[in-house]
Amino acid sequence: MLWKKEPIVALDSSRVILHVDMNAFFAAVEQQSNPALRGQPIAVTGSEKRSIILTASYEARAFGVKTGMTHYEALQCCPQLRLVSANNRLYTDISTRIMALLRDYTPLVEVSSVDEAFLDLTGSLRLFGSAERIGYLIKSRIKFRFGITCSVGIAPNKLLAKLASERRKPDGLTIFRAGEIPRLMESLPLQELCGIGRRLGAGLNRRGIFTCGQLQRYPLHLLRKQYGVVGDKLLAMAQGIGSGSVIPCEQSAPIKSVGHSRTLREDLSDREAITAFLLQLSDMVGLRARRGQVAGRVVTLTVRYADLSGFSRQQAQGDYLNQSADIYQAALKILDQLALEQPVRLLGVRLSQLRHAVVQLPLLPQERKQALLTIASDSVNNRHGDFTLIPGRLLEQKDKGSHVISPAWRPEGVRNLRVQ
Amino acid sequence: MQSADTSLRVGVIHGPGNRITPVWFDLNRCKHSVREITNVWRDRQGETVRIHFHVTDDGALYELVYDLGALNWSLEQLEAL
Repeated sequence: MLWKKEPIVALDSSRVILHVDMNAFFAAVEQQSNPALRGQPIAVTGSEKRSIILTASYEARAFGVKTGMTHYEALQCCPQLRLVSANNRLYTDISTRIMALLRDYTPLVEVSSVDEAFLDLTGSLRLFGSAERIGYLIKSRIKFRFGITCSVGIAPNKLLAKLASERRKPDGLTIFRAGEIPRLMESLPLQELCGIGRRLGAGLNRRGIFTCGQLQRYPLHLLRKQYGVVGDKLLAMAQGIGSGSVIPCEQSAPIKSVGHSRTLREDLSDREAITAFLLQLSDMVGLRARRGQVAGRVVTLTVRYADLSGFSRQQAQGDYLNQSADIYQAALKILDQLALEQPVRLLGVRLSQLRHAVVQLPLLPQERKQALLTIASDSVNNRHGDFTLIPGRLLEQKDKGSHVISPAWRPEGVRNLRVQ
Repeated sequence: MQSADTSLRVGVIHGPGNRITPVWFDLNRCKHSVREITNVWRDRQGETVRIHFHVTDDGALYELVYDLGALNWSLEQLEAL
């Protein structure tokens, strides 16, 4: 069935947005730091026993190794595959340095993950020449300094810049100019657009919509009826219109929560072991909240069982908390109200309903002493690394800290999670 | 970035076809061997087409630009180790 096309809102072509996407970032960093791995099929896996493939080198991808596979599945695809344990500190350090390099071209750099960033180059073109030149400068400098490649996309908005960077991998540079976008979108498969996932894509496919051109012609009132306000957004996306501007870290919206969760090395039933882990998570949450100068009123405990079922329970506290001991007591109180039905596979602690918190020393001597102790302990940990000073109960615990780079990781601010 | 507006000579392999590959450049009587060409692209300045080469020697990254109209080379040092 052919519908009349909805009127196309003009594409704002006044901005120049560049998207940088590091190619197989973790694997490329490993290959650079160990020459014996260069040119070899390698896969980076989590440091945990039960982890999966985090990323694979392009040599391994040629054999069909994919992110998310188990070790067994990956080795079935490529028996000569070399599994490398993730070195998260190295990746976040290299990422921080790459993001600093990007700021040589514009202050408007939005870090979207450890290996991706958007740059608004609109005001930088007179200084550096063309966006194409800046793209090649970035690619060459990253290759020269770190030995790794990236794909670059340049377009009038973030949606299209991301799409452009996906076009040529690895080591590509693609430019979408405003004039060529209507033709490009006409035949573009829906699933290639960032933001249209498998489920949404399948739903649209069931309505006979497979390309952005078909989505443009689909009646807007039907899209609204099915998807609400998202219907309007879908239509704009199909037209290549992306509304979001590049937001640097310092201007990003304030965080809504600070949390940590960990999959345990082995499923735990012993309460003592579970509470020790809870103490560690509370300590990490408290430290990050104090670094970010925030305190929260709601503490949430997340539990996932061995069969992957799970739940979260939250409790509002009488006061805003950011002391590790207080967070631990609140999480413990929630745990004590629960009857755990199975061994625990994952535990998480989160602090939410945040507000800015300044250090105010209490008047009462005992509380004052505790606050001064926290300040001293934080300054030691900030200077010499996390877990330099820890509660005595955690001394025996083997794997401390966060072993995963969260998608929310940023090179600075409270989202700068120090990984192990 | 450091501009190098000095006497510059570039050793080039022409071919196969219309391909141009810089293999060394001589800057201030100091010869640099091109270790790697990291990127090549073309742009247009008015009527003139220019070919940009990002090349490395052992210690720095340079941009060599060949002007197809004037048939001359220019160079800019982008980064040094």
